Amino acid sequence: MEREAAAGDSSAGRRRRLLRRVDLTTPGLLGLPLAWLVIFFVVPIAIVAAYSFDIYSLFPGNHGFTLGAWRGFAHDPVYLRLFWKSVQMSLIVSTIIVVLAYPLAYYLALSGTKRKYILLLVLIAPFLTSYLLRVLAWKVILGDQGVVNSFLFWTGLRSPGNPISQLLYSRFAVMLVLGYIWLPFVALPIFVSLESLDRRLLEAATDLGASRLQAFRRVTLPLSTPGIVAAFLFVFIPTLGEFVTPSLVGGATGYMYGNQIVDLFGTGFPDWETGSVLAIFLLGVVTVLTVAFSRFLQPRQAAN
Amino acid sequence: MGEERDLLERRVTREDLFKLAAAAGGAGLLASRAGGAAAALERLTTESGRLQVLDWAGYGNDGGQPLFASYVKKYPRDKPQFTYMTNESDALAKIHAGLKPDLFRPYVGWVKYFATSGLVQPWDTSLISNFKHLNPFMVKAGQYNGKQYGIPEDWGFDAILYRSDKVTPKARSWGLLFDERYKGKIAWFDDLGMLVMTGLYLGFKDPWNQSDAELKQSQQLLISKKHLVRLIWASEADLWQAFGSGDLWIAYAWPNDWVQMKKKGLQVVYMHPKEKPIAWVGMMMLLNGTPRYHLAHAYVDAWSSTQSAKWLEDNYGYGHANTLARPASSDLLHALQLTNPKAVTEPNAHLDRDIPRRAVYAKLWEEVKAS
Repeated sequence: MEREAAAGDSSAGRRRRLLRRVDLTTPGLLGLPLAWLVIFFVVPIAIVAAYSFDIYSLFPGNHGFTLGAWRGFAHDPVYLRLFWKSVQMSLIVSTIIVVLAYPLAYYLALSGTKRKYILLLVLIAPFLTSYLLRVLAWKVILGDQGVVNSFLFWTGLRSPGNPISQLLYSRFAVMLVLGYIWLPFVALPIFVSLESLDRRLLEAATDLGASRLQAFRRVTLPLSTPGIVAAFLFVFIPTLGEFVTPSLVGGATGYMYGNQIVDLFGTGFPDWETGSVLAIFLLGVVTVLTVAFSRFLQPRQAAN
Repeated sequence: MGEERDLLERRVTREDLFKLAAAAGGAGLLASRAGGAAAALERLTTESGRLQVLDWAGYGNDGGQPLFASYVKKYPRDKPQFTYMTNESDALAKIHAGLKPDLFRPYVGWVKYFATSGLVQPWDTSLISNFKHLNPFMVKAGQYNGKQYGIPEDWGFDAILYRSDKVTPKARSWGLLFDERYKGKIAWFDDLGMLVMTGLYLGFKDPWNQSDAELKQSQQLLISKKHLVRLIWASEADLWQAFGSGDLWIAYAWPNDWVQMKKKGLQVVYMHPKEKPIAWVGMMMLLNGTPRYHLAHAYVDAWSSTQSAKWLEDNYGYGHANTLARPASSDLLHALQLTNPKAVTEPNAHLDRDIPRRAVYAKLWEEVKAS
């Protein structure tokens, strides 16, 4: 009995040791990425938040917790109006390119062409060149003496003294270039969701008498919703805080919320407090949006 | 070991020795001067490492090398290393965030701010051999409480550049930047100085220190006219590209922009508005606690030389505080009024000055951009 009990104890001990090892494996594996996330994401954000409450300050002197910058932000309609303008611009860009990218991804994923990966490579080829170069190339295309206006002069649709000036240094230019830059990011998640679609469901729909349009509406579209939502977020979130493209092609009217943050940190007279408020507000909105949309990223819920 | 090798490898040029000998001259003070010279030599040879310069684009290793060539020739082991600033606020933010330059270049309107900030220290002008050639008026503008915090170097104007083949101004006025006839062809400068310019246009008594009501009026004018503006430029390269390609006809600009557009073959005029242009003078400032005190002086001395000054005038179209320098172009000589030692001040121009409520101006300007 004692031996059996001892054997039982030994077995239980081994199990406990194994469990302990398993317990250590998970944090061991997760430790590095978590530490990375904490050091390079959470801590910097906490520092920015501290700036927004004047706990830290760029300038030496007496500082302490205050909500002054947050109150200023809430009561100054200029910042909120600019934020809303940026939201509108990002929404327009994201919606249009999702609509444009969907047929493209649909063709690549479901047409059965053997060249789909080559075509996919062609689609993402612009990513092999510099971001800056791709943006600057649009200046050559959209300027008053650029490719588009020169073509219009050549065709006689516009006179050389009357070019379309709204093409460059405008909101339109910003949205056009952002759309061009982010199109592959939109096409890829949609392509992946369509590529992983169970084709038997489409066959079943056809067998049950559904037309191609009905099969698309009732099967393909719901099942590709996670890809669409992911694609939308992939574009909407970064373009909302975008500042490089607006500063290059936006001119006076294409100025966005991200430019305001950069300017508050760097130009005029450094106002890191307000800049931090704007940055944290943007982060908060993005977080809320991501959480709100995340339920659509689950295929089953989306299909239901 | 490293320091010893540095000391052994450093060459003291014949010029240095002459300077030191000259410093050691003077019969009555021979002993003490010799001691001082020895101390100077000691410091020059112990200061080591690359000189850290915080300066504007175009003034570093990005095309501005001739401006400090004599320094590099003399101290090849301590070549300057550049960090670029886009404006004084950017420099201020960089320094507060931990950058440790030995010297940097704010403009004359910031002399008081930096002199009282505790970030900078006065120069020892006796260590700058070319100091005596610098424009006395500009030298005075670099002083605060009698101490020389800024060594004047480059100078120029903020005024209006326009295409004479496309634009017919109604008057020689800053108002051209608000002219409805040229909607979509106008560029403003991304700086709170736009409020100062607007104050000048509106005829305020002191545009650098406007009352709240005046500031509101200036801001409202800028907001109401912003729809005319195609570009608010922060970098000259952006302005040149847009102006050169015909996207712009009118711009708030600097003399260099006029030079560059002329080089492109454009018919351009650099207008002297009736409300007068705003003049600026670049002031080299020495950071407190710099470990390369003498090297920084040597660098500024190189910048202050006649050769550097002439190169700046010929290539960048800016004036230089060195009164001996003359540009090759008589057009430039005329435009900058280089023969007038007080070209940067009344009655010719308004010399830029301290803005006591700079943070308020900055906030209002940010609101104009965001509007």
